[in-house]
Amino acid sequence: MNFIGNIMYDSIYHATPILLCVLGGIFAYKANVLNIALEGMMLTGAFTSLLISYFTGSIVLGYLGAIIICILVGILFSIMTVTYKGNVIVVGLAINMLVPAIAGFVLQFMKSPNITLQWKNIADFKIMIPLIHDIPIIGKIVSGHTPITYAAFVGIFLIWVLMYKTKFGIYVRVVGENEDAARNLGLNTNKYRYLAIMLGAFCCSLAGINLALERMALFTNNMTAGRGFIAIAAIYCGQGDPVSSALYAIVFGVARALAVNMGLYAGPAAALFDVIPYVVMGIVLTMVSVLKYRNNKLRGIIK
Amino acid sequence: MKRIAKKRNFGPQLVNTILPVLLAFVIGGIIISIIGENPFEVFKIMLGKSLFTAKGFSNTLHYASPLLLTGLAIAVTFKANIFNMGVEGQLLLGGFFAGIAGASLQIGSPLLHKIICMLIGMICGVLFALIPAILKAYYHVDEMVVTLTLNYAMIKVLEYLSSGPFREDGSGYVCTSMIRETAMFSRIGNSRITFFFVIALVVLLLMAFVMKRTKLGYEITAIGKNPEFSEASGMRVRRKIIMLMCLSGALAGLAGAGQMMSETFKYTLTFSGTTGLGWDGMLIALLGRHNPGGILLAAIFYSALKTGADNINMYTTVPKEIVGVLQGLIILFLAIRFFNEKYGFMEKIKAQKNSKEVVE
Repeated sequence: MNFIGNIMYDSIYHATPILLCVLGGIFAYKANVLNIALEGMMLTGAFTSLLISYFTGSIVLGYLGAIIICILVGILFSIMTVTYKGNVIVVGLAINMLVPAIAGFVLQFMKSPNITLQWKNIADFKIMIPLIHDIPIIGKIVSGHTPITYAAFVGIFLIWVLMYKTKFGIYVRVVGENEDAARNLGLNTNKYRYLAIMLGAFCCSLAGINLALERMALFTNNMTAGRGFIAIAAIYCGQGDPVSSALYAIVFGVARALAVNMGLYAGPAAALFDVIPYVVMGIVLTMVSVLKYRNNKLRGIIK
Repeated sequence: MKRIAKKRNFGPQLVNTILPVLLAFVIGGIIISIIGENPFEVFKIMLGKSLFTAKGFSNTLHYASPLLLTGLAIAVTFKANIFNMGVEGQLLLGGFFAGIAGASLQIGSPLLHKIICMLIGMICGVLFALIPAILKAYYHVDEMVVTLTLNYAMIKVLEYLSSGPFREDGSGYVCTSMIRETAMFSRIGNSRITFFFVIALVVLLLMAFVMKRTKLGYEITAIGKNPEFSEASGMRVRRKIIMLMCLSGALAGLAGAGQMMSETFKYTLTFSGTTGLGWDGMLIALLGRHNPGGILLAAIFYSALKTGADNINMYTTVPKEIVGVLQGLIILFLAIRFFNEKYGFMEKIKAQKNSKEVVE
């Protein structure tokens, strides 16, 4: 029972950064901008939150600084892709490569392989929900997570409302589906693209803060390890719908939790279990694609 | 006619390629001066020795050889608008098993041994590229997402293999056994350059021929411009996608095998360096405009930058990670076209004049 409880707790724990990236990427996906810079933005959040907390000694400044810098990266991405019409994939890749390079540069300059906050006890970040925590099994699973973890799960609902129940969401979807129609309506299409990308950057910064600051108070380079790409896979699987994309994100979180917990008993082969999330992602993506195109008789490549 | 049109476009194209590099160097220079070093001095150390001394230049050529191949591997697919981001993983797999074959096979003839190792590297690259290729061609799975994530899976698998079953006993860090003498490319003269550079050049020429003069080369461009039209006009796009991905995988695998047999001689966890040879290939393909001649120049330029970075660590306090920053910046600026390439400079001005006259 303890083993299963651990897996369920870890599922929530590991799903959070992926979930936040998914929520961030959905709007850009709907606005027809493929944001593969999610990975780089998440790493920016992780890096800057730790760096700022390290130098200022304040966790709150770390949170705020990381969010602001991530949004700046989002604005950079938007300027390059929306205003100057650069190739989205190339710009995304450039950001994905630039961020770890800058982080590596700074780490090398500080002559340290990582940034840690020794004065911070990470247990302080965990919220024990008063009543629920005392319920035998469920309490241990649901309670004791960090603030951003809870925010992420509330975020599914918020993003759903934002996408389907507000003007903003409808406009973003119109811009993505039919840009000419949106222009004829008098919408400033670039504005909605900018906002969609910046919202994504905000969510990614939270994912990064969760990953580095809240969980471990530690930053090592490339600690995001492809979570941003897994998030893109989840968005593809859920076709940009907040609820189903979020469900796929949780599936990938469960896969990682299984991998980590089973790896504990595997001894030297533990490294092989780390492969599970990536393989699960490939299989799920293929299955969704097969189902989607099952009755499609068109020839050639379908975009 | 066609040739004239090409010549006219050359100016804006050149500017569009060189401007990003200059911009990246300006921003890199600003970062260096913030640290408190003289940027001109640093760039001089970086590029001076690796480009303008005989030994330095041949070292540069040596490190450019795998980059030529990864650059080609990316260019072949990017030109057809297929995004094989798995070059890094294919290179690692190819390099790893070329190394295993180099260490475990006992073949008397050095030539045969080298050929077998390189073939094994290429086959591994092809097999690994085949997974996303088939998924893309038959199940419409986005190849970019699959290749990007499979890279991470491959790094983990190789980490396990090199620290578990294939680990060299008695070494202080994780690595596989050293390959045999018969599988090593020996150095020419007192620099690091080996025969592998010649192989890379021959492959480059071969690919230049394929891309410019054969049906396949034409089809790559056509698929890149409009896949639906290519399919409608009778090219079998699915098969071509699989073929191109395999070609890309083979080039990446060969690059990995070459790196193993001419430089590292054993698989370590830092086999492909800090930014990764596969990712460097991305920069080289974009900088070289998916064009073999351009790729050659870009590979030499980037290799000079990378070998020069080792020197700046010796003479200044600037971390050599500055190269990674420059790389990212160059790619970022390469994404946008500063000038329209459909017109030359003069025509653009004329066109503007004409349109003004019309308005008036």
